[in-house]
Amino acid sequence: MERSQLLRQVAHQRQTLFDEGLLDEQFVQLEELQDRTNPNFVEEIVTTYYQDTSRLILNIEQELERRPLDYGRLDGYMYQFKGSSTSFGAKKVKAECSLFREYCRAGNGEGCMRTFQQLNREYATLKRKLEAYFQLARQARLTETASRPG
Amino acid sequence: MGAAVDHVSPMGMSGGSAEGNNKSDGQRFSCKNKLTALVVDNGAVCRAIQTALLRSYGVETEAVETGEAAVQLIASGATFNLIIIEMLLPVLNGPETARQIRAMGAQSKILGISAFFDERHQQEFLAAGADRFIEKPLSPEIVIPIIWVLDN
Repeated sequence: MERSQLLRQVAHQRQTLFDEGLLDEQFVQLEELQDRTNPNFVEEIVTTYYQDTSRLILNIEQELERRPLDYGRLDGYMYQFKGSSTSFGAKKVKAECSLFREYCRAGNGEGCMRTFQQLNREYATLKRKLEAYFQLARQARLTETASRPG
Repeated sequence: MGAAVDHVSPMGMSGGSAEGNNKSDGQRFSCKNKLTALVVDNGAVCRAIQTALLRSYGVETEAVETGEAAVQLIASGATFNLIIIEMLLPVLNGPETARQIRAMGAQSKILGISAFFDERHQQEFLAAGADRFIEKPLSPEIVIPIIWVLDN
């Protein structure tokens, strides 16, 4: 694929992440923190985010299987999830975290489970689309390297 | 929503943000004097981002995961102009960490931070000696004025 076409695709994919509400301006802050001294910052944060949140998802899944539900523990896990998602810029995931916490505080187990399912869906969508974007961006970086005079 | 793209440097560009922080135009706020900060947060993502943000403004920043580690650091003689403390730390929570830091005579500006704004948490933090309490994320809009005051 021609490089300029590739770059346009990367830009378009990136913009889609914002237009679809998956990311917010906080993600732009992460991009702004990436520079020559910190060239892989965004990918490092993404990796850390996935590590953090996959652990929390597992913990929440286990808690949701217990009876009676421990709303205190669930609240605690979701607090952490929201903190990470907010700092990352994961807009839709963050919104589901807030909703989950409201159900927790109301002692509404069904609401918690329903919201957690939705959160999982939003999280999976974000992960999938981010991976596609980063893959394309890496491809663009490779063509940039290949096209540099030797 | 989101930054429109007028050129692409994959994952390394931005469409800009407020207050001249846009690295793509080569001008970013940076402190004139040596300033130091401590980030206290048990969340790896938050810790990494807050640290990177402060360092991008020229603030020498350390990060620890627990309130106890923060207290030990200060007890050992380390001083910081700014300390950012997460509310819900395990064992020694944010306000208690702030209280112990103040009890040691630390004059640092202390910012309590939380994933959810809660008035009770705000009151707890302020009563413990924090100067301010905010909801995450730690943004340039919050941080730059604080650094500017410390720097001047």
